[in-house]
Amino acid sequence: MTRASGATPESGAAPESGATPESGATPTYQPGGMPPLEVRDVTVRFAGLTALDGVSFTVEPGTVHALIGPNGAGKSTCFNVLSGVYRATSGSVRLGGAELTALRPHEVAALGVARTFQNIALSPRLPVRDNLLLGRHRLTRAGFVAAGLRLPRARREERAHEARIAEIAAFVGLGDLLGTPVGLLPYGVRKRVELARALAMEPRLLLLDEPVAGMNSGERVEMAELIVSVRESLGISILLVEHDMGMVMRLADRVTVLDFGRRIADGPPAEVQNDPKVVGAYLGTEEGL
Amino acid sequence: MSRHLIRAGVLAAFVVVPFYLEGFWLQAGLFAMSAAVGAIGLNLLTGATGQLSMGHAFFLAVGAYAYVYFAAEPTGSLGGLGLPTPLAAVLAVVLSGAAGGLFSPIAGRLKGAYLGIATLALIFLGQHLLFNAGPVTGGFNGRAVPPLELFGFVFSDAPELVVMDVPFGALERLWFLGGAVLLAAALFARGVLRGRPGRAMNTIRDHEIAAGVMGVPVARYRAGVFVLSSMYGGLAGVLLALVFQRTVPDYFGMLLSLDYLAMIVIGGLGSVGGAVIGAVFVSLLPQLLTRYGDALPLVAAPGSGDGVSPAEAARLLYGAAVVAVVLFLPGGLLGLLHSLRRRLPGLRLPLSANPTPSPETRS
Amino acid sequence: MITFLELLVNGISIGAVYALIALGFVVIFKATDVVNFAHASLLLAGGYVVARLHAAIGFWPALLAGIAVAAVLGALVEFLVIRRSKAATHGVLAIVTIGVDIVLTTELTRRIGAEVLAMGDPWGSRVVHLGPVPVAETRLVALVTAALLIAVFLLAFKFTGWGVAMRATAEDPETAALMGVRLGRVSLSAWAVAGALAAVAALFLCVFPTPGLDRGASFAALKAFPAAILGGLDSTTGALVGGLVVGVTEALMTGYQNDLTFLGRGIGDVAPFLVMIAILLLRPAGLFGTKELARV
Repeated sequence: MTRASGATPESGAAPESGATPESGATPTYQPGGMPPLEVRDVTVRFAGLTALDGVSFTVEPGTVHALIGPNGAGKSTCFNVLSGVYRATSGSVRLGGAELTALRPHEVAALGVARTFQNIALSPRLPVRDNLLLGRHRLTRAGFVAAGLRLPRARREERAHEARIAEIAAFVGLGDLLGTPVGLLPYGVRKRVELARALAMEPRLLLLDEPVAGMNSGERVEMAELIVSVRESLGISILLVEHDMGMVMRLADRVTVLDFGRRIADGPPAEVQNDPKVVGAYLGTEEGL
Repeated sequence: MSRHLIRAGVLAAFVVVPFYLEGFWLQAGLFAMSAAVGAIGLNLLTGATGQLSMGHAFFLAVGAYAYVYFAAEPTGSLGGLGLPTPLAAVLAVVLSGAAGGLFSPIAGRLKGAYLGIATLALIFLGQHLLFNAGPVTGGFNGRAVPPLELFGFVFSDAPELVVMDVPFGALERLWFLGGAVLLAAALFARGVLRGRPGRAMNTIRDHEIAAGVMGVPVARYRAGVFVLSSMYGGLAGVLLALVFQRTVPDYFGMLLSLDYLAMIVIGGLGSVGGAVIGAVFVSLLPQLLTRYGDALPLVAAPGSGDGVSPAEAARLLYGAAVVAVVLFLPGGLLGLLHSLRRRLPGLRLPLSANPTPSPETRS
Repeated sequence: MITFLELLVNGISIGAVYALIALGFVVIFKATDVVNFAHASLLLAGGYVVARLHAAIGFWPALLAGIAVAAVLGALVEFLVIRRSKAATHGVLAIVTIGVDIVLTTELTRRIGAEVLAMGDPWGSRVVHLGPVPVAETRLVALVTAALLIAVFLLAFKFTGWGVAMRATAEDPETAALMGVRLGRVSLSAWAVAGALAAVAALFLCVFPTPGLDRGASFAALKAFPAAILGGLDSTTGALVGGLVVGVTEALMTGYQNDLTFLGRGIGDVAPFLVMIAILLLRPAGLFGTKELARV
């Protein structure tokens, strides 16, 4: 699979009248250059509780960066800040020229940041195809009028993007499940649909929230291979939250460790693994390594 | 191939109906068509996007009264613009959409049942305006509705028209107009639901945050769907006004909004077919009970004062149906038909299958 | 000035009654995450029982019976409907309460018919004077009763085991269940308490100066919805403030209606909803509501 800048919509987004919820206000995604993600001194407080306390790290372009830590360390909060779901109390997150902390989720998505959810967040009644097509939302234009009237350009757009979806599904190993409602799929397969939906956004940065949680060992190996091939064939930067230490050590180029909202270590996996603070944090919470 | 045959059959039946059915049933059928248009709109909002609205009756009122005001010639105390009636109808729908748009700061930011409570305001505001803005609405007495005139063809009893020995009055003529409007409204909604907007709407319903993260501007979409559903409400209002030939303020109250919610739940949340089936069920039930109530125990003749009147019996029945459907029949009547069709492969019903019948399960 | 004070006192007392209704509504929402659109019909049921029974068994037993019936009805709705539709989303549960509301309201308004039923209360139409301000005795009783009930309720909510279980459930049902809270009982009791509060409110909505219980009584109860949401659906404080805001707004707008003719007749009925919209525009979660924090 090649990086498909050719899969962007062929119709040139003609302005639409009527109840079209799109406008060109959001910053748009330029394919090509892969800037680093720079997280600087990000602090998040909820009602007196400090969930993240001055956390900084950098995800270099084209690398797999792991974010680890015991339960409640602030990993999910961090993901939510990066994807625009939570507002940071202070600090900055930069991707290329853009400041992410001021943006809402769909504006972050427009910059080419995709994420998966730890607890699967798919539409169970929709078939795999439609769940993946949702990933194409920001790359497509058809609004209420075009879709309602089934204008030729809406149909052309739909066909083009369905073709690309079929490729992505095949890449992730879902090729023959496109018509199956997601709710009927086993858990491990749904996790892959999540990944495929994120890939369908043609992201520059992919945030994976515990991609192998709840999977059996065979599924874990498959998912790990998939993540490696995503990076290798698509060149996407990946930020990964994961509890499976073996997987983190195998996959990650760099690891950031959080504990109680603070960064306690940052470096190559081998180095972090032997850091006494990291060992202490994990032993202290009886979290299995 | 058989699909086309079924469609042809349905079309033929639809065309034949006005030649055989009496006015009572034609009118009931037209009410059902208008209700179906409105219910499709509400199902886009509530069923497909998960946004509850108690204010649908308000938008029907806007459509109905705006049509009258735009189309009527000013007389005495009542104002009117005297526009060509088709233009008045289009403007009435646009105005309903604009009214929905005015509510969009609320409709975009509140979700689910919260929006349901907020939209109660529209009912009370609507009733207040209908009773107080006399020069436009005619106040308590309401207003007469000018008949639609399309390319010189008038949708009223005069001038007389006889087709194949059957006198074609307002109801017979409107029958075909109503059918065409409903078909167009249904096809448009189906296009929306099956296309890019529909996927975004369903995801907002199923997982709001995922929708945002996937690039859907959630608030703008919610507001957009609210506007669209308001326009459907307005269109239903115009149709209703044409059929009823008079607008009365009481009709557009809270009960009407509840009726619409009952329709989409009973028929099946989130789909066009569900809205249509539910609308037919809820609007024909009182008529059936009125006509055949004598044969049923417990139902009293209308106006006799004791016992359950047909209208009340119908409300009791479909109120209970709402509860029963949620408990025992997720997917509504449409879902029931689909599962019947699956079990009886020989039986092919001419229903449009929709990829997303309802949100009742959630993993 | 005296008119203003009179309207203000009336507004506060009727607002306290709205607060009772809104409080029940909020309690149901906190315990079961259900927006209960059948609340007005529970109220109507309680009021109807009082109105029908007081002639036969006396006012106080009739009031107790009304409260009991509304509480049992609330509990039945929870037990027979809400509990059985666990799979449904909250939006669908709200709709199912609309179905319940349609059934109950239709049947009750049918029974009431065109009648206006007296509540048989002992206060009648007596008016007392607070300094220069004339106030209906019923209004004072309403204010005192509502204040007492609200105080008892809030104390119970803070200090009893029931209150702790309720708050823990609202916070995090799964953890609460693990800690031994019986979710079924919590939600059942929430519905029953809400029903009982609504029945008390029904009494005060239908006594002097209101002529009595008629089929429109559930409409009056609908004003508790803006009270609950403008205060914040998940806040008991919000329900109190919301109730007062709605009551005072309604009383003032109705009282000065003749000076506000440009707004049309009956503006007092619409005003609470307009205030609600205004507040929601500024604060979508209501005055005291917590902004929902997404857990993903």
